[in-house]
Order: sequence, then structure tokens, then C-alpha cells
Amino acid sequence: MGFSENGKQYLLPEEALYLMECGNVQVFYRDLPLSIQDGYERFLSSATVSLQQYQVFGHLKRLGYVVHRFDPSSEPSSYARQLNLPQSRDRAGRQLKRKRSPSPTATCSYTEAPVEPTVEKMEEDKCSLEGDHVKKLAASPDIQTATTSGSDEGRSWWTTDDLGASDKELHHSPTSRSSRWDFSSIPFPDVGSSERHPSCLAPPEPSLLPGDLTVGVCDIASWRRKINLRMVKMSSKEQKREEDKRRRRWDVNKDREVRRCRNWAEYHELLARRQRKRKGRPAHLWNREVTPLHDPRQPIPTGELLDKISVIKSTHLLEGASRLKGSEEWRICFNVYQPDTVADFKKSNPGKPYSRMCVCSFDGPVPDLRVIKLLAFQSGDIPVVFAVVDHGDISFYTFKDFQLPTDVFP
Amino acid sequence: MLADPAVSQTSMCSYWLSPVCGVLESPSMDDHQDSSLVVGVGLCDSAPLLWRLQDLKTVRSLGLVGALLGSLPRTPRQNQRLGRPLLLLPEEEKLLRDEEAAGALPGQNQDVGGVELQRRFEEDQQRSFEEQSVLALEDRKSALLRAMTSSHTGESALRRRLEALDHSFTFPQSAMAVQLSTARAGLSYCPEARAHLQANWPIREQNSPRSDARCQVFRDLRGRGFFLTSAGKFGGDFLVYPGDPLRFHAHFIAVCLMLDESVCLLDVLAVARLGSNVKKTVLLCSP
Repeated sequence: MGFSENGKQYLLPEEALYLMECGNVQVFYRDLPLSIQDGYERFLSSATVSLQQYQVFGHLKRLGYVVHRFDPSSEPSSYARQLNLPQSRDRAGRQLKRKRSPSPTATCSYTEAPVEPTVEKMEEDKCSLEGDHVKKLAASPDIQTATTSGSDEGRSWWTTDDLGASDKELHHSPTSRSSRWDFSSIPFPDVGSSERHPSCLAPPEPSLLPGDLTVGVCDIASWRRKINLRMVKMSSKEQKREEDKRRRRWDVNKDREVRRCRNWAEYHELLARRQRKRKGRPAHLWNREVTPLHDPRQPIPTGELLDKISVIKSTHLLEGASRLKGSEEWRICFNVYQPDTVADFKKSNPGKPYSRMCVCSFDGPVPDLRVIKLLAFQSGDIPVVFAVVDHGDISFYTFKDFQLPTDVFP
Repeated sequence: MLADPAVSQTSMCSYWLSPVCGVLESPSMDDHQDSSLVVGVGLCDSAPLLWRLQDLKTVRSLGLVGALLGSLPRTPRQNQRLGRPLLLLPEEEKLLRDEEAAGALPGQNQDVGGVELQRRFEEDQQRSFEEQSVLALEDRKSALLRAMTSSHTGESALRRRLEALDHSFTFPQSAMAVQLSTARAGLSYCPEARAHLQANWPIREQNSPRSDARCQVFRDLRGRGFFLTSAGKFGGDFLVYPGDPLRFHAHFIAVCLMLDESVCLLDVLAVARLGSNVKKTVLLCSP
């Protein structure tokens, strides 16, 4: 038990507590030895190892089994098992996965859609022109937006938090600044509002664009025509006219389902199906004469006959299990290996565990099929045992996959 | 199978037998509610645990059984007989709290007595070391004497070794036997005032109607003199013993239902079958 890291020997809390109870280890904290009560209260909690899990751990260790914590990431996936890859094992198997923090540059150097200040804001913004920082933008003259004005306030939100400072260097690549965005100061244009609005969006700041890309103004007039449309109320004559126009324009070949038919027979089937749907009868029901599935005068072997008339397909436990997502309450806690005398167990190469434990209690719910499938999938080919704790008594239950036998003479 | 009275006073010693056996000798304490016998309950992962020997005796005298969870110090690698801590059922905990017979033990981060405790610990270690070195020397001498009397050759060499022993014997510190206490050490040094214990009982009520039903059934059956333990393995709520569980087998399995709960007939059949297989009567109880 235990593991070594950085040259020191470490014990997991449940292992330390078990050794304390056996009288083999004394744990010191602040130069005083911990009593067993201290050990229980300090080492056991729902965040690390719960009391019930420790009860199961202690019970199995006292019987002589070797019990290790289960690490789902160290199990090979079903695909890897199919390929029969050799297992690679590192010395300290319990290292934490290296957390990959998102690089801070990623958020600033990539700009989303060009954000432009709205007209209203710009007209109110009476910010002073910073002489050398004014961008010469290729704006068409009929735009009332103050893109030509030195609207550094609105334009420089991506470089700093502090918008008031005047000697900002907009040529700096954004990655050199910290990316704390003040979203309250970033103006987003409300293009969908019905107020008076320019029909073009100004091009984005060239310093934010990659390479030599130049973007002109964006004409949004056609798009704005399509939004905020109201339903037009037509008179009956107008409706009839629309209907006629539509009928004249309708072409049977334009129908997608008709296009999918490859020959006349299929087209007839499609028409028949549509007819039946209109009558209200489901398409999959049999509408011809009912005959037996197999003509008794024809001899076939019993096995084939059973297959022919079978209605229910048998399934196995792991079917569909790969699609299931993990849940918080049910997880495999321990790997249990048989004691040394029965199987050869080495810390560097433990081999396959004898079973895996999932700890629950009689107060909680019984595991349903979904949970059983999930745990069996996580475990691979090793049976999962449910250790149910009931105030000091532990009962072990396991579910076995079982196929109903078919009595067939070959 | 008496617990040695000399040692059971200190809560530091964890080497002695399960205290349950000692309580059987005083069954008349059933209704005796001594005001000084307040049980200190420690919470571990929101489970009520009893650690001190006296607390276990008190609780047993009140007719509450509980379940032992820890390893037995004398024989740690077996599961037949377990040792402290004692886990209480939630109904038992509620009963103790309502009768004001229990309080929460003080927590771990008591830095107030830290330096004092350390000094005491070191003194105890030193005293123990001295005693043990004396005993080790005597042990060695007696071993040599036995060797001298049993073997007739080399007597003079052994005699010389014996004489040299007094001068040259050293008892290394690493060979000292240390004692690991079960209950927290500091508690035995301060008096168990009732107020001191009950100051910070954390409220962990689970007020579901089911747990209320269970509580009332527990109280009623306990009031009639039965002893109750948990019966998850038997498919019920409580196992009902006519007396102390160490003396009797359970006679009943109690299944608690709420007054307006409808029970499927198949469930009744299943539990009846189970009861007849384990030779117990099934009680369907509701408050």
C-alpha cells in the first residue's frame, strides 16, 4: 500500500487510518501523535473517503485482500482493449492529471465579430481627438457614425481596462496586455432596433485583423430588410391570387420525397403511403392477408426455425453503455486484488483486479439498469460488486449478465 | 471477560476488550439517569460516533445497542469482533439528545491546550521510556540466568556477561513500545461539564415523514423494553430483541410504514417469506 513520489513514501488517508487501527503506524501532527478518533475525524470526509467507504476498505483489508483506489483514467478504453495494446504503467500511478489552463493569449488575440460603437453612443461621446492615434478609416462620407472621429474610447477596449488614459498605443499587439475585459464599456450595435440606423457597419480595426487582411464596410441593408417584418393581412381575393400563383408554380418534381424515388414502383408506394396516412392507418401495419411465418410443410432445422419466428432480440449488458455519461453518486471506489498467496501481485504490476467495489448504503436507491451498465462499462471485463453498508454490517451484491439458454438440437 | 477496572478509567488505553462485556454485570442501571453521565458524541462525516469507554457503558445501560466499527486493538485483523468507535442509529442519537443525555464533543483544533498537551506528552514518553528500560534490563538478566542454568557449558562466560550487563546495557529509544489512544487525549484531562459538551451540537435533521415514523416506532418499542438494531440485511427497518442482543436472537423484524401509505401485496408476501426463512416474525409498524 502507499505510493512514492518525489523520493518520499506517502500513504493514502484510508491506508494510514487502517494501519493506525492495527497499531503499526503512529501519525504525528504538530508534534503530537494523533489518536484514532482524530484520525477518523480528520481523514474521513465526503470529499476524500467517506466513513462508509472506509468501513468497506477496512473490512476487506482485515480479510486479507489488497485494496487500491480506482482510477478511471488508468483503465484502457474498449477500443484499446480490442487492439490488445500492451499496458504502460508508470511507477507512481496516482499522479494528478496535469491541468491545462487556457492560455491567456487565446482570448485577446482572437477577436470576434467586429464590434462597433453605436451611433447614439458616438454622438454623445465627445471625446477629444488624440492627434497621432486617429485612424484613417475608409469610411464612406455619408455615414454619420463617428468612425472618423477619434473614438478611441470605444475602440480601445481590447487593449486596456483603463479607458481614460490618453497615451495608449494601439499598435501594441493585444497579447502583451492582460485580458481583463470590461464588458460594460464595450458597445455592441443594436442592429435590430427599429430606430434610425446606418445601413452599413464600419470595418474593424486593422490592428486586430491578421496579416494583410483588409475589410471594407459591411452593407447590412438587405439583412435589415428581412428582420422585423410584420404579417401582412390579405383580402380574400388577394389570398386566392396567391394560391393560384403558388399552384401554378408547384412542380411535382420539386418534392423531395418524390425525388428520392428511383423508379415508378417506388413512386406508387409513396402515393399509397400518403393515401393511407390521410386515412389515418399507420404505414407499418400489415394490410394484406395474414399467413404463418413459416410453412410447416417445409423442413428446416430447429435453430433456424427459432430464429425465424423470434420476436424479441436478446441483448447483453454492455450494449449502449458507451453512450452513457457518468453520474456523480455512483462510481467505482476500489480495486480489490486477491491476497498474495492466491495471485501474484506486485506494486509495479498489480495485474487484473479480482473485482471492483462500489460502495452504497441501504438508505439510498437500488442501482438501476443505467447505473449498472455505466459501471460495467467503466470496469471492463471485471465484475463490479456493490458493497452495501448498513450501520456496521456490509453485504456484497453483484449482478451477472445472463443469456437465456435455447434448447436446440444441432 | 471483565474489562480491567484499573485501566478502563483512562480513555487513553485502547488495548482492552470490548467494553460491552463489562456492562452486563450491572443491568440495574436501566432507569438510572445520573446527571454526570452525559455521553459525548463525536461527528465524523456527519455520523454520530462514541469514543470513550464510559460513554459506551452509559449508552448500553440505557438500552441502546449501536454498532461497533473499528478494529479491535488486541486482534486487529479479523471481522468477527470489532472495537470502538460505536456508531449510533439516527433514532438512537435523537433519543439521547431529547433526553439531554448526550452532547457534542469539542472539535479538534483546540490550540489552547496545545503546548500544555505537548509538554505532558513528552513527560509521559520519558516516564514510559524509563520504566521500559528498567523492565528490559530485568528481562535480559533473567534470560541470561535461564541460559546459564539450562546449559552447563560456558557458564563462566555467561556469568561475566551478566556482570557486564549492568554497566553496558542501553535501551534504544526506537525499541520503546508506544501506546496509541483511541479517544482523543485532551478530553480526559478536562471535566465533562454538561454545558461544555452541548454547546455546539450541529443540527442535522432530516425531517422526512419516513424518518419521523421510524423514530416514533423506535421510541415505542424501546419504551416497552426491547432492544433494537438496524435490519437492512433482513429487508426491514429494525431488528427487535427481547433483551440484550448478546443474550438473545432477534424475535421480530420491524418494518415501519406511514399511516396512509399503501403497501403492495407482493411486498407483504416477499417480506413474510423472508421472515419465515430466517425464523423471525415480521412486524408492520406505523405510528
